[in-house]
Amino acid sequence: MAIRSKTFRESYYEDIKLFKTIWIKSWIGLLLVVLAVLPLIGDPYIIYLINISCIATVAALGLNILTGFTGQISLGHAAFFAIGAYCTAIISSRFQLPFWICLPASGVVAACAGLLVGIPCLRLKGLYLAMATMSFGVVVEYVVITWDSVTKGVRGIGVPTLNLLGYPLDSNNKLYYFMIVLTALAIIAATNLMRTRVGRAFIAIRDRDIAAEVMGVSLTQYKVMAFAISSFYAGIAGGLYAYVMEYIHPEHFTFLLSVQYLAMIIVGGLGSILGSIFGAVFITVIPEFIKGLAQFLTLLFPAIEDKYDDGWNIAAFGLLIMLFLIFEPKGLSGIWTRIKTCFKNWPYTY
Amino acid sequence: MEVKKIRTVLLVIALICLFASPALAERGVTKDTIKLGLILVKTGPVAALGLPDGHGMVDYMKYLNDQGGVHGRKVKVIWEDDEFQAPKSVAALKKLIHRDKVLSLITSGGSNQTIANMKTINKYKISNIPNALMREFFDPYQPYIFAMGATYECQYQCIVDYIFNDMKDKNPRIGVVYAKKEYGKIGLKAIRERAKAYGVDLVSELVLPTGAVDASSQVLTLQKNKVDYVITCGVLPPVISFLKTAEKYSYKPKAVFGFNWATDDMIVKACGKGAENYIGVNFVGGWADDSPGIKLVRKVAEKYGRDAKSIGLTSLYVHGIGASYLFGEAFKRAGKDLNPDSLKAAFETFRDFDTGGIFPPLTYTDKSHAPPEMVKFFKADVPNKRLVTVTGWRTPKKMK
Repeated sequence: MAIRSKTFRESYYEDIKLFKTIWIKSWIGLLLVVLAVLPLIGDPYIIYLINISCIATVAALGLNILTGFTGQISLGHAAFFAIGAYCTAIISSRFQLPFWICLPASGVVAACAGLLVGIPCLRLKGLYLAMATMSFGVVVEYVVITWDSVTKGVRGIGVPTLNLLGYPLDSNNKLYYFMIVLTALAIIAATNLMRTRVGRAFIAIRDRDIAAEVMGVSLTQYKVMAFAISSFYAGIAGGLYAYVMEYIHPEHFTFLLSVQYLAMIIVGGLGSILGSIFGAVFITVIPEFIKGLAQFLTLLFPAIEDKYDDGWNIAAFGLLIMLFLIFEPKGLSGIWTRIKTCFKNWPYTY
Repeated sequence: MEVKKIRTVLLVIALICLFASPALAERGVTKDTIKLGLILVKTGPVAALGLPDGHGMVDYMKYLNDQGGVHGRKVKVIWEDDEFQAPKSVAALKKLIHRDKVLSLITSGGSNQTIANMKTINKYKISNIPNALMREFFDPYQPYIFAMGATYECQYQCIVDYIFNDMKDKNPRIGVVYAKKEYGKIGLKAIRERAKAYGVDLVSELVLPTGAVDASSQVLTLQKNKVDYVITCGVLPPVISFLKTAEKYSYKPKAVFGFNWATDDMIVKACGKGAENYIGVNFVGGWADDSPGIKLVRKVAEKYGRDAKSIGLTSLYVHGIGASYLFGEAFKRAGKDLNPDSLKAAFETFRDFDTGGIFPPLTYTDKSHAPPEMVKFFKADVPNKRLVTVTGWRTPKKMK
């Protein structure tokens, strides 16, 4: 790993500091300024995309903790997300409880469901674990559809507007700062978690579970913990989703959504916090970008207008993901690390 | 003095801009264009349903433009694909309003999509005709939703009425094959209650998933229970699977019924002889009808290089033309001063409005945007591979 000239670390504490140099602090400061002024200059559609990206980031962080850091494959992330969304929707619409009760409750209920899945799945690995978590997704979908009296089944359920200290956040621009703050908290919490004994235990389990156990890492405790934390994140993301969409329906939480989250962490970078953010934003925003580009091209070359349809966007998106997997297995975070290294070492290659 | 003058001028300009901008630029309407949005599935597993509908909507607007437009304005349709997913539909509507600045939407898509967008629709006064038949769209009154198409309850009530009154069976053995979707559950309940009102209980209630490619267990159960009338509450693909499976097992009930999403010529084309006892209901005229509205539909299709084969589901193309036809009429009635409020007001002037057989006559007022609760019955014409109309517009019979 490249170290910037005059950057010396003399203790382990310095090595795991969140913001290691003045440069990192400056860049983050600049990012915060840009994020703060964005709603003033960006159109509401862009703000909506950022809100959706924030939700995807929180959910992807959760999945990366379980799959990327602990090595437990999950194809049931959408189920935990759905549990969180339904929990917020039901509590807020039936009991008119505020968000500061609904959101943590969603996280806790989803985490309990994570424990429920995690404990029986302790002995499962790889494809078998994937199958078990996928089955849990099917069970949740079935419950949501058939438990009419609580979930309103196939008719879907409306969610009241999020109210912050008496101020209704009834538009995406108003929700924006709330989403940014919560996402930042989720990122900081995940980053901190990975700097602790728990995070290191997760990584040890992923790299070689037998060796981890020999070193005193309790596989039972940490695997179940990873499931619970991951589900907690998914639950919070689900709660946020319910507030942003203001209406949820069983069809929003299909198996395809779990695959989408898996794609986010693979494209972003497995076992990387930054990768979760990159992947979530990429998968959410890139289809819009491709669509915009295609429309621009049809303006430039009117001859292709008749030949172009939305199927091309999907094909382009699929191709992009394939290229990533072939040429950049470390995902977007791998590219980011290389760019940073290049700038750090410039003008030297090594 | 000079500085003061400049300040005053700037202040006046700022005030003019502030107060004049909403009046100067009505969303989506200029001197010579009207921008209209359209959110409908184009890709994915249900693209076959969205494409003919959307093509119908776009083709009629092209036709309207070729006729000179409306009050000197040409209509530009921006079609966003929601892949039949509510979250994508929400994003599409935000894009259409904030980026493309459309006046309104022809349709916001299916039930979930429209409900998910309801707050935005009301906030931005988006008059639209959903591609779904939920009672919640007009009861209670929704100011910007103009429901078109008989509700599922009405369609299934008419089917049960048909068994008792037209087929004159006093003690029919009725079985229901339904999908666990909103229409399936509503349909099953409506059939059960209607049959009960005639003093009959259902013999079988069987689930047939939307993606089913084989219906052996359902067909064998119905056969075992000696069901004479099968009512399906599913969209076209599972109903085709059901009819083909029934033919395979030589199961020939007196009739197999289907609702509007399964009443299309495609069913006869796909099943051939297997569809000979099929009877469907729909709230749009049939492709082969001789009414002026359907003649117009065929004329528009021909003008833009489409025939029944290239269209696919012709009933949906008819529906698409019909929805745009209503918008065209509303634009005419709204006059030159077109904006979200005048568009809504124009729709609300429709009184028994005749679409020439595309839709039943319809009425919207400022207190009700309910659809005409009417359907036509269609029977399979196997040699000609099409459905033919066998009744006029019907409403459910009033029960004592």
